[in-house]
Parts: sequence; structure tokens; C-alpha cells
Amino acid sequence: MRSTFSGLEIAKRSLFSQQTALQTTGHNIANTNTKGYSRQVVNLVASRPLEAVGMSSSAVPGQIGQGVEFSAINRIRERFLDSQFYNENKNYGDWSVRQDTLEKLETIMNEPSDTSIRTVMEKFWNSWQELSKAPENLTARAVVKENALALTDAFNHVSGQLSDLNSDLTENIKVKATQIDTMLNQIVSLNKEIRRVEGLGNDANDLRDQRDLLADDLSKMINIKVTDTANGYNITMGNTGLVTGPTLNANVDSDFLEDAVTSGELTSGEVRGLIDSRDNVVASFQKQLDTMVKTLVEGDVKVTLPAGSVLRAGTDLNPSAAPVTLSADTEVTVKGINGLHQLGYSLNGDITSPGEPFFTLKDGATEFSAASITVNPKITKNVENIASSLRTFNDTDGTTKVVKGNNGLALLLSGLSTKSFNFDPANTGETVLNGGTIDEFFRAFVGEIGVQSQEAQRQASNQKLLVDQVDSRRQSVSGVSLDEEMANMIKYQHAYNAAARSMTSFDECLDKVINGMGVVGR
Amino acid sequence: MPGRITQNMMNTQLLTNLNGNLNRMTGLQNQLSTSRKINKPSDDPVGLSYSMRYRSELAGYDQFEKNVDGAVSWLDYTDTMLGQADSVLQRIRELTVNAANGTNPEDALKAVQQEVDELSGQLVDIANSQFNGKYVFNGELTDRLPYSKTNPEDSVTDSGEIHFQVGVGTQIPINVTGNTVFGNANPEENLFGVLKELSGSLQAGDQTNVSALLGKLDSRLQQMLNVRSELGARTNRVELAQDRLKDISINLQNLQSKTEDADMAEVITNLKTQENVYESSLSAGSKLIQRSLLDFLR
Repeated sequence: MRSTFSGLEIAKRSLFSQQTALQTTGHNIANTNTKGYSRQVVNLVASRPLEAVGMSSSAVPGQIGQGVEFSAINRIRERFLDSQFYNENKNYGDWSVRQDTLEKLETIMNEPSDTSIRTVMEKFWNSWQELSKAPENLTARAVVKENALALTDAFNHVSGQLSDLNSDLTENIKVKATQIDTMLNQIVSLNKEIRRVEGLGNDANDLRDQRDLLADDLSKMINIKVTDTANGYNITMGNTGLVTGPTLNANVDSDFLEDAVTSGELTSGEVRGLIDSRDNVVASFQKQLDTMVKTLVEGDVKVTLPAGSVLRAGTDLNPSAAPVTLSADTEVTVKGINGLHQLGYSLNGDITSPGEPFFTLKDGATEFSAASITVNPKITKNVENIASSLRTFNDTDGTTKVVKGNNGLALLLSGLSTKSFNFDPANTGETVLNGGTIDEFFRAFVGEIGVQSQEAQRQASNQKLLVDQVDSRRQSVSGVSLDEEMANMIKYQHAYNAAARSMTSFDECLDKVINGMGVVGR
Repeated sequence: MPGRITQNMMNTQLLTNLNGNLNRMTGLQNQLSTSRKINKPSDDPVGLSYSMRYRSELAGYDQFEKNVDGAVSWLDYTDTMLGQADSVLQRIRELTVNAANGTNPEDALKAVQQEVDELSGQLVDIANSQFNGKYVFNGELTDRLPYSKTNPEDSVTDSGEIHFQVGVGTQIPINVTGNTVFGNANPEENLFGVLKELSGSLQAGDQTNVSALLGKLDSRLQQMLNVRSELGARTNRVELAQDRLKDISINLQNLQSKTEDADMAEVITNLKTQENVYESSLSAGSKLIQRSLLDFLR
């Protein structure tokens, strides 16, 4: 025998369950645009049917259903897609940072244009040609000086920009480290909270979404592996544990990350991209530029001194005590612009002491580089100190004087632009070009930036496609579809209305029993 | 494409595609506004290295052209000076021929002598002529007076050659030395020595010697002519170099333009196509997104 009121109970359960489903639908709709949100579904199950209460088993055939209940509210998500997403996202982070750095390098090099280092260099060589046309003229000398200053300024400026880029990257690594640290801390506290909530038997869907979103963001910055355990997420970077359930294993700062690169644990992600950009890309190009400047100033190069040139006494080329006049064209090896300039004679008439170097180091510097090069202050103060002549003559009064109209040195110096230098005397294999003209070296250098940048752009856009693809598959599983939710809403609303109708029907039945029965003959 | 599609997926897809369209349009617009297809090294690293080489070489050839202009004006100036010297010498020869004619009275010879002295002075001035403040006939000692006013016949000029660079590895000497033009510093072949002797003979009325000197004058004239023809040949060579440089410059500009310049017709066509694609994706977007089941529910 059943309870008279069991029909009401069934209708009530149905009302509650459909309402919960409606509420969850509302929750889904509300979070359509929430980042990292996974749609939730109410798991409706039929209630356990009851045996009729009695001393013996009921004779009534069949079990009578007791309506509906919901067993859980689940979020729809596929873990496999998450790990795929982390994998693609780290590479995307890595390449997008490289692309960014290389694009900045391209801007710094400013090619092709008429305002780059190459242009300043052309003007420098050409100014020596101008000087060769009027060696006794101070104006032509001033042109050489100004162009030399423009050249050293350009080198100093580009070198400064490269150093700035370098420190920007370091600064970025620090910022990323702080972000990573904050995220890991958030994941740890979410781990704790999720364990607490789920310990009570509920699904902490929204908290899990938050945690997954953090893991998504983290996966762009470093390579992570996420394992879901009973205690929450364990997060590792390579073999380094970062988070184990409720405990934080590492305090992430920039030193930690740089050590991880050295030990090979940090293999990808934005941070790896930043560290590589700084230590390999930018550092390498800075080194190339320094090599170019150093070679230009003091690298070995062969020049042919014309017959009639007078070599100073007591130099490498002429160790004897008296000056030597060359009787034939002679090929000699000199040390870059400085070595060649020191062979020449300037308007100041000095013929005994060794010639002045053209470029000098800035105060405190020990080696020629793009940052340390400057024009000899003696030349900037007095352009007469620029050497242009290779000849001396004995004047009628018996003194030896400089032939001011000789342009041999100016011609040789401007000719250095087509001379082949050795950029890698120590055979390190680190230069973009072993031997060639300064111009060729610079072209190879800029070309290298172009090739690397092109590669980074291609990789970054490929990787972006892959990330988008995985994300879209994830969206396909977890994303909220408004159409679906609206259809569900209709479904649940109708069920709710029908449940209410069935309650009314039971109500009418009871009304009949209570108010309409036992009044026979009244 | 996965089976289940949500509005947000369509939104993301639309945004990605729109962004791609915009990116391509920016690239094309950049090409259009700069009229170059290489705007940064990564656009075409190989093309860029060619383009940089053409630019450098162009700058070099521009300088050579300037050098050639300088060489031409120096050679022209020298030629003008030699032309003047030539006419002065012709006048002296005329006078000498007249003076050698035995009928001249002594005072006439005096007058001739005066004029010859004047003309000799003028020749020394020509030998000491300056171009842009530089003595042209003193080799590389361009800052020193080559011929002394009093004893020009003893002056030794510098033998240095001034070279101008008119091409890669091509240098052309652009000066002639005073001693080549006017003879070495010995009285036998030096023009100024001959003139001094002429002046002395005129003063002494030694007409025999005057007519004997005519031969020497002629040989000096011949020498000057030789130098002038050599100068002319050199000027020809420089002018040839000038033409060649212009040709090379034009060729280089052509090559640079082929490497760097965008094909405008192509760029504009592509840009128009991209604009169409962009507009259609925009309108597709507006149509896709505006309707959902929501619109059909009461």
C-alpha cells in the first residue's frame, strides 16, 4: 500500500531537479564569455524505487518509480586536450618572444634605408676620396672628421640600443618570474580549497576552471607538466617540481629560472625565449658588431704602398734608424685603419714620431668595440692631424718636410672599403663571415638577422595556428553553446511546468479524497 | 573541425581570420606606401643583401663621378694654362723671327727684348698658376711656388703624380709637372733658360745667336705640344670613365629597383583583393553572429 502523498513527493522532487537544471543552464549562459569556463551539466537520475511498506512483499506487480534526483553537477572537459594545449602553448610563447626580439633588432639595424650604419660608413669612405682630391685643404679634412664622428656615433648608438634591448629582456624575465611565482601560489591555494570542497563530496567545478586557466597561462611562460592527483595538481617543469598538491616546492625568481635553463629543465616558453634572446641572439649580434668595429680599426689587411712612399724609421715595417723611400710598389700588411693611418704624414709636419691612430678608445675601455670606439681627440681638436700623405722631401734649407699635396694615404684608406679583412683571426667560427670586406660582413650580419627573424615569424605563426586549433577543439568540448543552452532551457522549463501540472493533478485527487468523499447522501 | 560548434568558437575563428586579413593588408599597404617590397630584413633576406650591395656600390660610384668631375676640371684648367703658354710662346717666336731679321735697328731690338722679358714673366706666372689654391705644375708639392721669379731656369719641380680614383682600382694621374712642360733645369733644354739667353742676345744685338735660338724655341714648342696632346688623351680617358660610370650607375639603379621595388600593379591588385576578402569576412561575421535560437523563442 502506498502513501497517499507519494505523488506530491514525486512532483516536488521533479520541480527541484528541473529547477536545478534550469539554474545550471542559467549559470552556463551567464558564463558564456568567461575565460576558462567549462560548461556544466546536471546529472539527473531516477530516484530509487521504494518497496511498498508492509509485513510481506507487496503483491502489486512492478516497482513504482519515485521520481527524479540529481546525482552530481559535472563540468565537461577533456584532460588530454589540456596537456596538448600546454605543449603547443609553450612553443608559441617561446617563438613569439624570439620574433619580438628579432623584429626589434631589425628596427635597430634599420635596413634597407639611407640612414643606417652602412650609409654612414659609405660617407666615411667617400670623405677620404674627397680628401684625396684636396689633401692640403682643411675643409676636406673637416668633412673626414665629421663623417668619422658620425660613424663612431652610429656605432656607439647602435651598441647602446643593443645594451638597452639586453636590459629590457632582463627586466622582462624578472617580471615573468614574479608572475609565475604568483600563479604557482594561486594554484597551491586552489589545490587546498578544491580538496576541502571535494572532501565534502561536491564537485568544485568553478574552482577547477580557475585552476586550469592558471595552468593555461603558466604553460605559455614555461614548459610545465600537470598531473591531477587526489591532493590536487602536481606541476613540474622538466624534472623540477614546482607544486605538489597543497605545497609549493620552489620559490621562482629570475635566478631560479636562469639556473633552470643551464640545467636544461627550462626548455621552452616565453621565459626560455627571453633568456635565449638575450644570451644568444642579442649577445651574438652585439659580438658581431664589436668584431666588425675591432677588425675595421685594427684587423690585419694588405695594402700596396706606391713607389716613392717614405716609411718612418723605427716602425714594424722599417725597423732601421733611417727613413726608407720605397723604390717600387710594395704590398704590406697593416693593422686596420689605425695601422694604415699611422704610416701617413699629416699637415702638422711631424715626420719622426710614430703617426697618430685615427680611432681611439673611450676612457676606461681596453678593447675596440662598437661602444668604446671614438675618433682620436687630437684629430677632433685639429683636423691637421689627419694623415693623408705618404711622402716627405728635403727642402732647400736642408730640413725634411711633408709633401702636403700627396694623397697616397687618403687613397689607400678609402680603398680599404674594398679590401678583404680577416674577421676571425683566432678561428673561433663565431663570426658570420671569416674573411671579406667590411661591407660584406655587415651585409652578412644584417642578412643573418633577416633569416632568423623570418624563421621566428614563420614558427610563431605556425605555433599560433596549432594553439588556436587545440583551443578550438577544447572549446568544442567545453565551450557554452547558446543554442544548446536555450534548447535545454525549453526542455527543463517544460519539464518544470509539467511537474507543476502533475502536482496540481495530485492536489485535485487529494481534494477529492479530503473534501469530496464521505458525503454520500448529504 | 570538431563536431560541436559554439558561438564563441565562431567568434574566435572570425577574429583570427579578420586579423589575418588585416595583417596581409598592412603588409600590402606598407609596400604600396613605400613602393618597396623589402622594408625590413626579414621580408627577403637574400634580396636585402643584394639591395644593400647595390646601394653601397651606387654610393661608391656617385663618389667616383664626383672624382671624375674634379679630374676633368683639373685637366681642363691645365690645358687652358698650356694653351696660354703656347700662345705666349708663339708670340715670342714671332718676335724672335722678326728680331733675327738683320735689318732691325738696335733700339728695335731693345723693344723686342723688353717685350720678350714681359712675355717671359708671363710664362713664369703661367708656370706658377694655381687651381683652387694649388700650384698645378709642382707635382705633389702643391703648396709651394714651383718657379722662382728671378731664376726660373734653375727651379726643379716635384715629380710626384697626383692620382684621382675614377673607379674601383682605377687611378688616373691628373697633373703634369713643370719640368715636363718647360724642360728640365739645365740651360740647354729649359724654356726659361732659352728665354734668358734670348733676352741677353737681344740686348747684346747678337742676331746670329738670336736666330740660332729659334731652333731651341721650336723644340720647346714641340715639347709643349706633346704634353698637350698627352693631356688631351688623358682627358679622353677620364671622359670615357665618366660615361662608363654613368652607365654602371644606371645599371645598378635598375638592379636595385628590380630587387627592392614593388610591382605596383600587382600590389594594388592584391590589396584590392584583400580589401574585398576583408569586407566579405566582415559582412559574413555580422550575419553569422547576429542570430541564435534566442531570436526565435517567444
